[in-house]
Amino acid sequence: MHDLFTEVWESVRRNRLRTILTGFAVAWGIFMIIVLLGAGNGLMGAFNQGGRDFASNTMMMGGGWTTKPYDGLKEGRRVRLDMSDMERLDKEPFAQYVDDVTTTHTQGGFTMTYGRRYYTNVSLCGTFPSYSDMNKIQIVAGRFINEKDINERRKVIVLSNLMAQNFLNGGNNFRDLLGKRVKVGNFSFQVIGIRKGDESSDDRDLYVPYSTIKTIFALDNRIDQMTFTFHGLNTEEENEAFEKELKASVNTAHRAAPDDESATWIWNRFTQNLQMEKGSRILHTALWIIGLFTLLGGIVGVSNIMLITVKERTHEFGIRKAIGASPWNIMKLIVAESVTITAFFGYIGMALGMLACTLMDKTLGQSEMEVFDQSIRLLVNPTVGMDVALEATLVLIIAGTLAGLAPARKAARVRPIEALRDE
Amino acid sequence: MQIELHNVHKTYEGAQPLHVLKGVNLSIEKGEFVSIMGASGSGKSTLLNILGILDNYDEGEYFVDGQLIKNLSERSAARYRNKMLGFVFQSFNLISFKTAVENVELPLFYQGVGRKRRHDMAMEYLERLGLKEWAGHYPNEMSGGQKQRVAIARALITHPQIILADEPTGALDSKTSVEVMELLGQLNREEKVTIIVVTHESGVANCTNRIIHIKDGVIGNIEENSRHNASAFGTTTVMK
Repeated sequence: MHDLFTEVWESVRRNRLRTILTGFAVAWGIFMIIVLLGAGNGLMGAFNQGGRDFASNTMMMGGGWTTKPYDGLKEGRRVRLDMSDMERLDKEPFAQYVDDVTTTHTQGGFTMTYGRRYYTNVSLCGTFPSYSDMNKIQIVAGRFINEKDINERRKVIVLSNLMAQNFLNGGNNFRDLLGKRVKVGNFSFQVIGIRKGDESSDDRDLYVPYSTIKTIFALDNRIDQMTFTFHGLNTEEENEAFEKELKASVNTAHRAAPDDESATWIWNRFTQNLQMEKGSRILHTALWIIGLFTLLGGIVGVSNIMLITVKERTHEFGIRKAIGASPWNIMKLIVAESVTITAFFGYIGMALGMLACTLMDKTLGQSEMEVFDQSIRLLVNPTVGMDVALEATLVLIIAGTLAGLAPARKAARVRPIEALRDE
Repeated sequence: MQIELHNVHKTYEGAQPLHVLKGVNLSIEKGEFVSIMGASGSGKSTLLNILGILDNYDEGEYFVDGQLIKNLSERSAARYRNKMLGFVFQSFNLISFKTAVENVELPLFYQGVGRKRRHDMAMEYLERLGLKEWAGHYPNEMSGGQKQRVAIARALITHPQIILADEPTGALDSKTSVEVMELLGQLNREEKVTIIVVTHESGVANCTNRIIHIKDGVIGNIEENSRHNASAFGTTTVMK
């Protein structure tokens, strides 16, 4: 091994300029692969960030408009879900998959006051205890709504830490606010919990028990939508079958055709994620392909330069063969040189690529865009992991070998007498 | 009989096929010091290439130590060359980017000898040929005679049974030519190596013990030359 690399080093040293020029193309190819994959990862990271605040195994269901006549009723009728649909999920065949069922009712346009401070345009959001797990609500002080609040229709409220901060004159001791009363519209609520806000429009949602809001606004049994968590549905097919069955059941109960796609709608976060993952994989593959084609240019360059090397060293190879080098000895020399050039410059490209990814993370990755008063990051963690570095190493070694193979075979076929004649 | 050729034919294919060797029969004993002499185009270089397993032949048989050498794979040809043969060329054929000692080491490298050992052996051979001080020099820093002695050291290092020398004095002046031929003669006497010298110079051939004439692809007369000055060239002939 030592001898082989001594030989390779001697050869490379004799042709420094052209080795560097050729190596540049390889470095560029790997650099592109790393930067593309890094940017791709950042983009997918930004996409996924929106979903990270929610439990992934949830579905939301709501009513729509019928598009088919059924049971003596014309199409174009509005379907509205009610409490019985929530109970339906607690029975078979759905109960085996469904865990928690909740619904929310949001009534907006209130002003909330606490002492002399106030917030305008806040929404009362009536909901259930399990809502907090499903939507990963983080409580920083106090607690979320519980069963007792629901049963007793308590006038209790959970608000965001940013509001609390405002009410406490910028103070951070949220406990001071627990038990205090705030006024929303004409109703007085007792603060039982402070949740973490994220400066998005959701921050203006104030959580209160569903039963409370139902009483206050004299709601009937009808609900806007229901959200539930589920388990045991692991493939897209299983999810589709479940959705179809649920829709048929709900549709029939509301006198709509079981196969009416528009009478009710289901939004499944799990399959959504599956599709997102699929999209992410496609993007990943596409970026690899673009990168590999860029690298191909570099590889062709290496192959080319190795052919020139072989041509130049024909006489030398002839001498080596005359004194006992086997074809394999000669081939090794060329392939090793090719792999060395590819790997060396490939690693330079990789290092620069990772540096570029880090720079991207420090600049673009930190910039945020305001869209509908929500801040969105363009790239989240646009870097590549160790796995990509390993894959790229493998690619380099294979590519270097391939680049060296044709020239090496040419070198191995050199016949000693022809070579020795070649003065 | 160490080397035996029976009716060896060789034709170079091409637009105008060239029948170079037309049935060569030759035998050389172990430890002989012979020369193959002929004009250019006589087929002597082709014969040497076949003897050196650098080239194939079309017809006939070539035995070394009773072993038939025919249609060998590249790999086994390389092994035979490495183990049994040593080459000395007209243009030295040293590798220009390797020092003298590295050049001498090279055959041992292809035998798989370790770095330290082959360096020591190469130094030993260079010392024997009086080139110890030149071990670290590159070929282009040496004179023709020195280069040829490095090449001889390289040929000797594997302890070959046969040394093939193709016009070994072709690129040397007359004084160095005499030295090189004397060196080869000495090796033949002391090491009992079979030495075959191909030349077109009668003075060079005269240094050997047997002169095989080749003409138009066949072996002509074979002169015994054990009394080196007895022949027509004799003392009056100069090497160049």
